[in-house]
Order: sequence, then structure tokens, then C-alpha cells
Amino acid sequence: MNGEGILPQEGAIIILRDIAKSYWRETLEIPVLHGIDLEIPRGGYYALMGPSGSGKTTLLNLIAGIDRPTGGTLQVCGFELNDLDDDELAGWRNQFVGFIFQNYNLVPVLNAFENVELPLLLSGLSRRERREKVEHALELVNLTDRMLNYPRQLSGGQEQRVAVARAIVTDPELLVADEPTGALDSKNAEEVLQLMERLNQDLGKTIVIVTHDPKAAHHARHQIHLEKGLLDKTIEVNR
Amino acid sequence: MAILLLVLAPFLAYLLWLVWALLAYPIPISYNLRSLWQRKVTTLTTAAAIAMVVGIFVVVLSLAQGLSVAFVSSGREDQALVLRPNARFELNSAIERDRIRILQVHPLLARDAQGPICSAEVVVVKLFPMADGSDSNVTIRGLEARGLAMRPQIRLLEGRWFRPGLSEVVVPRKMQGRFSGLELGRSIRMGGRAWEIVGVFEAGGSSFESEIFSDVNDVMQAFKRNSYSSLLARLDSAERLPEFTRAVDEDKRLKLEAVGERAYFKELTKAGDPIRVLGNLITFILTTAAVFAAMNTMFAAVASRTKEIGTLRAIGFRQREILASFQWEAIILCGAGGSLGSVLALFANGIQTGTTSFDTFSDVSFAFTITPELMLQGVAFSLVMGLLGGFLPAWRASRIPLTEAMKG
Amino acid sequence: MKWIAFVLKSMRRSKLRTLLILGTMTFGVLVVALLLSLLTTLDSVANNPNSTNRIVVRHKSGLTQVLPRSYEAYLKQQPEVETVCGLQWFGGFYQDPGNFFANFASDEETLFQVFREEFGASGITEEQLKEYIRDGSGCIVGKALADKFGWKVGDTVPLTGTIFPISPRLTIRVIFRSPKPSDENVLHFHTKLLEEGVPRMKGRVGTYFVRTKSPDDIPRLIERVDRNFANSASETLSETENSFNLSFVKMLGNISVLLQGISLVVLVALIFVAFSTMAMAIRERTTEISVFRALGFTAQRVMGLVILEGLVLTGAGGALGLGLTWLLAAVLRPVMGSIFPFFQDFNVQTGTMLLCMGGALAVGLLSTFMPAYEAVRKPITEGLKTL
Repeated sequence: MNGEGILPQEGAIIILRDIAKSYWRETLEIPVLHGIDLEIPRGGYYALMGPSGSGKTTLLNLIAGIDRPTGGTLQVCGFELNDLDDDELAGWRNQFVGFIFQNYNLVPVLNAFENVELPLLLSGLSRRERREKVEHALELVNLTDRMLNYPRQLSGGQEQRVAVARAIVTDPELLVADEPTGALDSKNAEEVLQLMERLNQDLGKTIVIVTHDPKAAHHARHQIHLEKGLLDKTIEVNR
Repeated sequence: MAILLLVLAPFLAYLLWLVWALLAYPIPISYNLRSLWQRKVTTLTTAAAIAMVVGIFVVVLSLAQGLSVAFVSSGREDQALVLRPNARFELNSAIERDRIRILQVHPLLARDAQGPICSAEVVVVKLFPMADGSDSNVTIRGLEARGLAMRPQIRLLEGRWFRPGLSEVVVPRKMQGRFSGLELGRSIRMGGRAWEIVGVFEAGGSSFESEIFSDVNDVMQAFKRNSYSSLLARLDSAERLPEFTRAVDEDKRLKLEAVGERAYFKELTKAGDPIRVLGNLITFILTTAAVFAAMNTMFAAVASRTKEIGTLRAIGFRQREILASFQWEAIILCGAGGSLGSVLALFANGIQTGTTSFDTFSDVSFAFTITPELMLQGVAFSLVMGLLGGFLPAWRASRIPLTEAMKG
Repeated sequence: MKWIAFVLKSMRRSKLRTLLILGTMTFGVLVVALLLSLLTTLDSVANNPNSTNRIVVRHKSGLTQVLPRSYEAYLKQQPEVETVCGLQWFGGFYQDPGNFFANFASDEETLFQVFREEFGASGITEEQLKEYIRDGSGCIVGKALADKFGWKVGDTVPLTGTIFPISPRLTIRVIFRSPKPSDENVLHFHTKLLEEGVPRMKGRVGTYFVRTKSPDDIPRLIERVDRNFANSASETLSETENSFNLSFVKMLGNISVLLQGISLVVLVALIFVAFSTMAMAIRERTTEISVFRALGFTAQRVMGLVILEGLVLTGAGGALGLGLTWLLAAVLRPVMGSIFPFFQDFNVQTGTMLLCMGGALAVGLLSTFMPAYEAVRKPITEGLKTL
């Protein structure tokens, strides 16, 4: 799988080799990432940082398998993503990746329970099994009492916690989050960050987040800095 | 009438206000036009749907009108038709020769150099093959030369009028397309003899365009009738009509009945009732559907422009100006569809068709005539749809709280 | 099931829009179903299974001409013929010329044999029958007609003639039931009454209804009858009863072309409206669709859900429209029936319902497919950006 001949680090869950990505605007090629090599170990908590346009969100999208690189290979959760077609990739995301978005992206017509249940609808689970998993996930984010509320009846922090529950309900190995605290005030942001830290430490989830927020980045154990589409430096966070 | 006015008053007041609003505080119409153009697909599909509904509306209207024209334009105010009591239609009626003779010299008839102006006539129906292969009953009218002159809408287009005693007929131009073998110079068979077609006429869309004319005595002989069907009588003026009908109705020797020619044909328009009832029903239901569709489009337009509305409000436009602006946008949208629909309806213009009167069992031809008036009615109709469909969305647009709108 | 539940929840997103598109579909389907029902009703007039054994013999020149009574004997002699009934359209009215219904002077002895199917359901007793045959000024009326005017057996019905200068006073002897409403809106009285009252009808009748022993005999019989009277003073036109009825339907003119045309235009308009609404609705959900796909829903699955939502919506609209049509049919039946008698049998047939439902679902499919395809073709990352 590692065509470049470089041996992966023991237990690496994400292995990027010479990843490049460009966008086209009409006939103009806009390069975003140039040859990125990166390995993230299982159970890691990494923050991708960098100024606007440095390519951090693009890198996250590639890792999460919602975008494809223009060059290079990437292996995530044991799968060579370039080898999967769109449908296989969708199934892979459902099984291995949990998403947390800046704007929560809950479905407004579904209540908290139904929103969390959404990814499970794709599984062959029975209604009762789904219910158990959803309740368990909501318990983890401490929102059992808000189960029947609709998104508009929840605060921003609660909405994001529902989104976290939706991300973990399928028990994925990898959680990706794009500015998860971007829309929250500091108190709610802190709550969500602590929750994610717990998921990393207690459940061993590998987490990759993109953030501007130094506080959020501080919760991660490693910070990867990008600059103009290139890896700048990786810093281990000391606590 | 008063109640209708009361119901319409707020409607008209609103309309006047809209026009005034357009002139007084202009959120420019070009803003609406550009907004419509922004959502091309939605605008075009909605306008197209409204165009189809308006097209159907205009066609149905023209159908109903075509039928009315066929009958109403047939009658003259100062003429009366004498029939057997309760016969209701010429076809059912029978009048013996001696009574016709009494009527022909009736003192109330108008006179000219040739004497009293009246025409004793006979009406029979005959099955004729149509161009499409089926058969239809056609009215054959036997009349006196005077009868032609008494119907001023009749005009000879080709050939000449029939002459008595020679088994000659004249046929209406309109029937030639729908029935086979009615060309000038050909002959048709009826009542056991051949009749030569010596002329072609038109009659201004009236019901005579569904009849074949010949000499009254020839027709009576051929069809072995010894009684007439009716007598058409000209009076000095329309005011003499009640006097004449009363005189005939009360004459014990005659035992006949007289009706105004116009009233008689009005009764005949009932032949178009099934089509009219159905047409109105369809138009009504379709209008409801179209108003819903327009409303839907406008609500979507309002929803997608919440921020814009907020900006307009922030700049200083008031709620009522927002209301007027969106209302006008709906009217423009529907009006465009309506204009297109009215134009599309022109495709139906001139199509000849026919139906059968169930009272007389005979064919009535008429044409779809899409007049400018009908097209204008179609456009007006679409504007009303815009008014109805646009009001609620425009109202909602004007009620969006400024804060909400700015949040975006 | 979980998907249907999901789609139903999804439809609450914009209740107003859901209601409006539902309304548009409902009324659109209502129009189409109504028109198609009228068409099938007209079709069924000429396809009456009860009529297959009967032929109608009339004057070649048209309905207003009459045939000699002497033809009856000839017809009865034919080996294929079971029995013959002379029928003359009387065209009278009760009280007001607007009270239109079918009334005939008919041969009282053979009427019940020739129209066995129509009277079969009536449960007329031998006694009632004898009473009618005995009373020369008696009449029989259908149940629907009797109900309309509140007539009972024994009542006197004055009928005003329009075609004929007589106005008989008839006594109701039998009120019969019939399987079809149009057959129940009929009055029959004795031929003799007409012949005695109107000299020119003496020994004459408008039409002969001939009951044959087998439908197979009909073509041969028709041919022989018409040939026999060819070149006589009163030539005949014989045809099956269905074809005779068809000539009345044809009298409406090319109404069926018009009905079909309008149905088609309405269908196209519905597709347009549905398409624009669905396109709008789906465009507004671009982000959500991308979120779904990020969560692991495949493109086909998302498309399937969106299309399913369209189908549920248009299907519900179709069902509502058909329900309304069914209700409206009950109201419309007497109204249309009083103008054109055959519309008394107006109803919404299963075939029409299936066709309309199919049409509604097709609208749902056609209107959602393109927008849904467009939405899933967009890269997920792009969709997530449109906030």
C-alpha cells in the first residue's frame, strides 16, 4: 500500500504521501497543497493551524475523504482512499469517520435524537439497537434530557454537542472537526473542547481539527502549522 | 349588484393604492425585473405554467363565445317566429297551409312594395357524411326568396342563390370543411332526388352557417311534408313585437305561438351548456392551482431575499413599500405568463368545430375565434392571479423584522 | 419504513411550500381526472355490454323521419330475431321545459323482453306489469326519475309534448330500478296513446329495437334488413345499439380532442410547476445534502431520498385530487346528466385513478430527478461551503 517504500510509523492511522491538491477556476489552476507528507498515529489529537488560504481545511477534507487529492496517496484507517470509488468512500466515511462542523449542520426538521440517529440509518441495525446507540451517544455528550428537542430549541453549545454525538454514534476511529468552536462563545467552546478531549483520552478516538482559535489548538496534543500549502512545523503541546 | 360592489371595493382600493405606491415611492420596477431574471428557471417555469392556464382560459372563453355568437347573432329584434304551441323549436313545429295564409296577411306585418315582409319556411334534418367518416345531422331549411333578404347577415360568396322548382341548394362555406362532397357544382342526394349545389354563402358566424338552404316548396315536396315548420315575420319596429306575439297567441283560429326571433335563438344557446359548464369548472379549478403555484414561487422569492429586504428596510424603505414592491413582482410574473398564454391561444384561432343541439338533434358549426378582447381578458385574468398569489408572500416580506433580516 | 418516516419529517421543512405544492398537484390532478372520467364515460356509452344483443333500425334520412309499422312484421319473421319493440322519442317535458329527461312511446308488450337487462334488477311483479299493460294511459318510470320529482305509483304525470302536439296525462303504474343511473332516468308510455293522439304517427314509429338470439347474427341481420328496404319509400339504417348510442356521443362534436388536449396541457403545466418548486427546495438544501454525504450517504441514496420525497408529495397530491374528483363526481352527475343524459353514468373508474396516480408520480419523479442529480454531482466540499 505504501508505494513510496517508506515504512509507516507503527500504529499510524493517517499516512499522507506527497499529497497535492489544486483547484481550477475556469482555466486557471490554483494550487492549494504542494506535496505534503504526514503521519498521524492512532489515538492522536492533532490541530491543523495556519493562516487563511494555507490549505488546512483542504487537508482536513482530504483526510476525511470528502475530497480527492490531485496527486499523492493517502491511507486512512487502513484504506488507500484513492482506490475507493465514490460509493465505497461514502461507506468508509460512515464507518470510520465522524464529522463535526463549524455550523453544527444539524437537520432542522429532526430532533436531537433523530439527528444523532441519522448515520445509523445506513446500518442494518434494528430500531432498538439504534435507540441504544443513540441514547449512549447522547449520554456521553450529556444531553439525554434534550433528546426530543429540535435544533432551534437548543443553544449553540448544545447543538454542537448533538453534532458531536452524531459524529461518535457509529463509533468511528477518526473524528474530524472544522472550526468546531468557531460559532460558539468561550464558555460553550470550552465545554465542547473538553468533551472532545474526553473522547480522545477515554475512548481513544483519533481527532484532527482545523482551528484558528489558540485555545482550541491548545487542547490538542500536537499542532501542525501550514504555510502556503506546505507543512511548516509540528509542535507538541505541553501541558 | 350592490353586494358585488361591496366585495370588490377593498379589492379595487388595494389596486388603486398599488398603482399610487408605484408612482409615489418607487422601489424601481427594474429591481423586480432583475430579481425575476436572477431566478430564471423558477420564473420561466412559473410563467409557463400560468401561460398554459391562461391559454386554456382563453380557448374555453372563445368556445363559449363562439357558441353564443352562433345563436345570438342569428336573430333580429324586429322579427318574430311563429311556431306550433309548445314546439319550442322550428324542427318540432308544424303549421298547416291555411294558417300560413292567414298569417301572411296579418295586419301587424311590415310591408314594402312587394307586400307584407314574411317567409314561410320548412326545416328538416338529414344525416350527412362528415369529412372524418362519421355522420351528422344537418338542418335543411326550405325558404322563400324573401327569407334570404330578411336575414341581413347572409352573404353569397360564390355562384348564385337557388331558384324555385329546380332542386337547387346553397351551402354555407363553414360546412364545406367539415362535411364531404359539398363543393360548388356537385350534387347531393336527399328525399329521393339529386340537388345541385349552386351557391356558397356565409352568415357572419350565426347558426345559419350550419344549415343548407333551398326553396321551401321543393323541400316540402321532396320530404313529403304538407305543413310548414314556421313563419318568419318582419314587424314595423321592435316595439311592435309584444303586440304581435299577443295577437298570434290569442288568435283562436290560428292556435299558434309567436316568439321574438332573438329570444328564440337565445333559447338555442343552451346547446352549448355542457361545454360551458365544463369549461367554467375546469378554468376555476386550474386557476386555484395556478394561484397556489404563483404563491409558492413568490414565497420562495421572499425567503431567498430576506437579507435584501432587511437592507431595503435599513436604508429607510417602509413596510408598505416592500409590500407594494413584491406585489408588483408577482403581478409582473403572472402578467408575463398571461400575455404568453393569450398569444399561445391564437393557435386555436379559426379551428372549425361543431356540436349538436340536443333539442333539435342537428349540427351546429362554429369556429374558435380568439379576439383581441378575449386575449385582453386572459391577460387581465393573469393579473388577478398575480394579485391573489402575490398578496400573502408580499405581506410576509413586509412583516419580516428588521433584526431578523439583518441576521441573514 | 425508516426512510419513509425520514422523508415525512423532511417534508415539514417548509410546511407552507409543502402545502402549496400539494394544493397545486391536487387541483391539477382533479382537472385531469375529471376530464379523463368524462372521456371514459363517453366511451362506455358505446360499449354497453347489455346492448350486445340488440340492433336499432331507423330511417336512413335521420332521426326525425319515421318508419312504417309494417316493417315490424318483417323484422319479427327473421330467424335471428327474438323480439322487436317499437320506440318513439316523445321529447315531452314535465311542468317546465327545463325538466329534461328521456321519455318514449313504446310497445308495452315487448318492452320488457327487449330491454330485459335494464328491467332485470327492478323486481317488477307480474301484477304490476299486467296493470301497466292494461292501463292505456299508464306509464312506467325509473326510480331515479321518480325520486327527483317525488312521484309515487298511482300519481298522475302530465307530460307536455314538444315534437308532437299532444300533452298526455299519464298514471304511474311501475317504478323500476336499473343497474345504470341513465337507464333509471326514463319514462315509457303506450305507443297507442301517441298513435291515437297524432294522426301522422298512425301506423308509424321512429325506431325499432330488435333483440337478436345471438350477437353473432347481428352483421348478417343488419345487412339483410337494409338491403330489403333499399329503394323503398322509407329506407332503413340498421346498426348495433352501441353504434347507435355512439352517434349521440359524436353529437357533442370533437369534444374528446378538446378534453385530451386540456389534460395534456395541464399535465405539462404541472410538471413545470413541480419542477421549479422542487428545484428551489433542493437548491436550498445543498449544504444539507453535502452533510448527508459526508456522514456516509452515497450519492444514489441521497438522490433516492430526495426523489422519494418528491414522490410522496406528488403522490399525496394525486390521491387528494382523486378523492376530490370522486366527491365532485357525485355533485356533477345530476348537473351534467340533465344536459347530456349519458353523463348520468359519470363516475371515476379504476383505470382513470391508476392513470392519474401514475401521472402524479411521474411528475414527482421528473421534477426531482434533475435537481437531485445536480445536487449530488456537486463536490461535497463545495456544498459545505455554501452556508
